[in-house]
Amino acid sequence: MKTLLATTCLALAVLGGAGPARAAECGDVTIASMNWQSAEVLANVDKFILNKGYGCNADITTGDTVPTITSMVEKGQPDVAPEGWVDLLPEVVSRGLSEGRIVEGSQALPDGGIQGWWIPQYVADAHPDIKTIPDMLKHPELFPAPENPGKGAVTNGPQGWGGTIVTSQLFKAYGAANDNFVLIDTGSAAGLDGSLAKAYERKQGWVGYYWAPTSLLGKYKMVKLDFGVPYDPAEWKRCNTKADCPDPKPNTWPVDHVFTLMSKKFADRAGPEVVAYFKARAWSNDTVEKLMAWMTDNQATGEDGAKYFLKNNEALWTKWVSADAAKKIKAAL
Amino acid sequence: MNWFSSFPQMNDSSLTALKKAIDEGFRQFTRQYGDTIEGFFTPLQAFLIWAERLMINTPWPIVLAVVGAIAWLASRRVSVTAAAIATLLLIGYFGMWEDTMRTISMILVCTVLSIAIGIPIGILMARSAAVQGCINPVLDVMQTMPSFVYLIPVVMLLGIGRVPGVIAVVIYALPPIIRLTNLGIRLVDRDMLEAADAFGSSSWQKLRKVQLPLALPTIMAGINQTIMMALAMVVIASMIGVQGLGQPVLKAIANQYFTLGIFNGLAIVGIAIIFDRVSQAFGLRLQKHREAVHG
Repeated sequence: MKTLLATTCLALAVLGGAGPARAAECGDVTIASMNWQSAEVLANVDKFILNKGYGCNADITTGDTVPTITSMVEKGQPDVAPEGWVDLLPEVVSRGLSEGRIVEGSQALPDGGIQGWWIPQYVADAHPDIKTIPDMLKHPELFPAPENPGKGAVTNGPQGWGGTIVTSQLFKAYGAANDNFVLIDTGSAAGLDGSLAKAYERKQGWVGYYWAPTSLLGKYKMVKLDFGVPYDPAEWKRCNTKADCPDPKPNTWPVDHVFTLMSKKFADRAGPEVVAYFKARAWSNDTVEKLMAWMTDNQATGEDGAKYFLKNNEALWTKWVSADAAKKIKAAL
Repeated sequence: MNWFSSFPQMNDSSLTALKKAIDEGFRQFTRQYGDTIEGFFTPLQAFLIWAERLMINTPWPIVLAVVGAIAWLASRRVSVTAAAIATLLLIGYFGMWEDTMRTISMILVCTVLSIAIGIPIGILMARSAAVQGCINPVLDVMQTMPSFVYLIPVVMLLGIGRVPGVIAVVIYALPPIIRLTNLGIRLVDRDMLEAADAFGSSSWQKLRKVQLPLALPTIMAGINQTIMMALAMVVIASMIGVQGLGQPVLKAIANQYFTLGIFNGLAIVGIAIIFDRVSQAFGLRLQKHREAVHG
């Protein structure tokens, strides 16, 4: 009798506590969150809007530029990449688009992503003659390699970032090794940030890969070095972005186009409203840098940042969604 | 009833203020003492760089000969020596020689450091329940705290590179040797200790001649575990810029190059097995005195 009572109670509890009803049209969605702040907060904004506004069952999956975009083109997973830095993988993306495997949404960062090699403001002020990369390469003593005494160091990002490949190729192209420089692989985003932060706090010289918009650049003022040559798009596609191309030439890093990418499978099944959202959603570098500065100050996660943004920028995000969805989202905040 | 369904947690703003205060405090600390601490570790860094240069610049037949000689002298067994040389030959043939030399030089230093620090601490713990009570929680933290948590402050103080790598590896690899040395010594038969006392041994003589030899099998198990854990940390160390076999593995993970990952992973396993078999065979030779018991 007791067992029967217990099992009945358990069964009722399970049924009573059953999860929300199945999402109407778009069902399960995987959104790629890459391990830098702007991508993380954008992915969380998308997740919140999709879940509360359009009744989807969206979830976040972590992955960086190279594996995410390749996986989307090859396997159609994950469904959405909110911040796809397409210029870092031009061949893969153009193939994916032409073969109809991926669909381009809006330009998520219409101001574009600004990548390159940066030096601290205090070094630029002390040495006004260092404006371009060839200038910088003449002074290995100003950018000492911590573990190779006598050599300079260019700090690269971790594996998996498109910017890491381009930096290694530029390192080869400018012949930095001949100027007594080494390329440091920092191993992780935390390693890259830590190395920059440490050098800046101690007012030491540092040169390496970084990009805007980021909160670290908002905190530590840096100056981007000029590349000294005009932009050559053919050369960029041919060699600067391919890790195993043996003969890269110096090239200017173009302002990156950052597009939201969707897999074709998802675009077909998600319904016109969701696709329209992804084709409209975009925010300026200014907006996202302010948001990231708030997030860093308050140690907020991507989720908290997304909620803060939605609470405080109604005028902006209501333009992206249908009136119906906007009502539901406001109610959920 | 909201307090019932969701846990009554600290006020959000106080929690944030607390976190920020600790962060800012730490930042002040690094600004004030960063240079001194970095200076303290400079000899270790210089030594690590020197050891790595030595291993990379030595021609490979000499490295093989030295490894073979050490394996032979430690184990006096052909099988162990042949396996060590064969593994290194395979590693070199598949293009992983330089990375392997870097990893070996760093892990060798880490393992020796761990053993040198760990065994004395284990002995101290075995002598006193109070010391054991104090150190056990510290060991628990060292083994379970995710490495990146303490690596972030370490990287802010010391930058990326070998020294934070050594710190990370040693912190993770130290607990097994400490715990097992402690265990081994505590498990020594009371009658043996009484007999030693009866013969008038001093504390030091008891330790050296009775406790340590009898605890040796357990201590060797501790050394085996320390070696394995040190090599397991190779990939984490590469996440803060340490070169070696960890970097290709990280590259493989990030770019989904399956075979690259497997090859380098197997190279790490190969080195772990070489280190382990040689040290175990040496340990067996140290326990020759046991054969008399079974004689």
